Amino acid sequence: MPKHASSGQYAIIGLGVVAGPQQDRSERMVAAEAARLAIQDAGLTPKDIDGAIDLRRTGGGGDRASYVDAFSRVLGLNNCFYFVVGRGGALAGLGIATALSFLDRGIANYICIMGAVTDWSQAQESRKAGHRGMAHSEKAGYWGKALGDLRAVSHHSWMAARHMAVYGTTSRQLGAISVAQRSWACKNPEAKMYGRPMTIEDHQNSPLIAEPYHLLDISLVSDGGIAFILTTADRARNRPKPPVYVLGQGFGEVSADLWWEKKNFTHMAVPRAKAQAFGQAALDLKDVNCVQFYDCFTAEVLFQLEDYGFCKKGEGGAFVESGAIGPSGSVPVNTSGGLLSCYHLGDLTGMAEAIRQVRGEAGERQIKDCNVAMTTGHGGELISPGMCSIHTCTLLGRNP
Amino acid sequence: MSGESNVIVSNEPWKKPLPNIDKDNEEFYEGLKRHKFLVWRCKICGASYWPKAYCQNHPNEPFAANMEWAESSGRGKIFAFNRHHLAFHPAFKDEVPYVYALIELDEGPLVSSTLVGSRLPKDVYDVGQRVEVVYEDHPAEGFTLPRFRIVD
Repeated sequence: MPKHASSGQYAIIGLGVVAGPQQDRSERMVAAEAARLAIQDAGLTPKDIDGAIDLRRTGGGGDRASYVDAFSRVLGLNNCFYFVVGRGGALAGLGIATALSFLDRGIANYICIMGAVTDWSQAQESRKAGHRGMAHSEKAGYWGKALGDLRAVSHHSWMAARHMAVYGTTSRQLGAISVAQRSWACKNPEAKMYGRPMTIEDHQNSPLIAEPYHLLDISLVSDGGIAFILTTADRARNRPKPPVYVLGQGFGEVSADLWWEKKNFTHMAVPRAKAQAFGQAALDLKDVNCVQFYDCFTAEVLFQLEDYGFCKKGEGGAFVESGAIGPSGSVPVNTSGGLLSCYHLGDLTGMAEAIRQVRGEAGERQIKDCNVAMTTGHGGELISPGMCSIHTCTLLGRNP
Repeated sequence: MSGESNVIVSNEPWKKPLPNIDKDNEEFYEGLKRHKFLVWRCKICGASYWPKAYCQNHPNEPFAANMEWAESSGRGKIFAFNRHHLAFHPAFKDEVPYVYALIELDEGPLVSSTLVGSRLPKDVYDVGQRVEVVYEDHPAEGFTLPRFRIVD
């Protein structure tokens, strides 16, 4: 199958990352700073940026786009549009897909796509009132809140539990995912858990939060911002940094079919997303040099390994227990440490790492000859049983 | 379903998040107050849904007028469950650990709530136990919440 006409016609030319606690700063300043860094990295000025997209997990959740000041205004961009895109952890993938329609028609030439959060700083505040975790982010009103379904782990842990019930997966096997990603994080000075190696015993001994999940099955709560600049392939040449081409994208929804089959507690909406992304790029799974899976919890990594076909359905536990996804394994997964051990900025965490791997900027954790990187996103409403239904897949590459 | 064991009456002040009662589920919550567990059923083909949806099996009338809230058996089996050890909200401090389960109703839909009663499952991979609904009345607050208990 030949690749799609759009494959390799758009590229990322700038990346900006603000990582680590930002308790003395506002979200809008973190956002504007990430954008400033990305514009500088692209060798451009704010006046060159003619489109701006703000990535917010509440994009589909009813919040007004302008509930904080736009980073484009703060930074003084020359943009003809600014709007909000996002659904839970599905941010960067949706941002790219949206931006392409503006680039394609010449409405904009350089689009800044940015997402920022101050979850960690806000969680420190809500702790004082006796809340734990991201108290501010869970809206009133979804089904289970009165019943004790208070955080994402309250229902996401069913996915691990159901996989255990159906396929015999164990907590130690899920822990192997945490251990592998921590090993990667220990090669990444930007990671929250850099310099803090862990063992499977550490995982097993970490407190039970919502059983079967231990603390070390759960992603981090973070502050920070990530921005990147997207342009057309012709404009991407002769920039300071090598272009990172968008080779293919695909999307899936569990609420379209899996929900009714009750498979969304053991599967993610991968099949259509995979077929679309790999079809556009005319690539196979074996062409992917590193994988940045959305990893809000360990079971999501396990599901995706199975659903993409790195191993058979139900065999993910044994696959990760063999060390396959760690630094010396056959499939490098979440090489920054991911949401579990680096920082949680939605799918921007994996997108930033994919850009760095394709550019060859990943330092000690660099994958040799990383020509193709895959990143995924995941998210949605926290209503069970249709929760978190979106899946996004983006393939980035060194060559168009 | 009969007997006092399937009804809990609480007069404690409610300090937890309130149930989300809106235009789409108001009738469901009214059903709970009457100790009926309603599902959203298609008058044409009999398929059951929860929460509200258009019937997936055939064309629908405007605003899904072919659907209605109808009494279910209130019975099903455990599809998956977890055990919360940490109180994310201060009002749950006295309840941990609690078991929060996904229940597959005999009519088909999945619903979730906590398990109550003396029989609780032990290992998270041990699923499939039969359950039935328990109505937890909060008369002073004006709502009833559904819980489930293992019946075999």
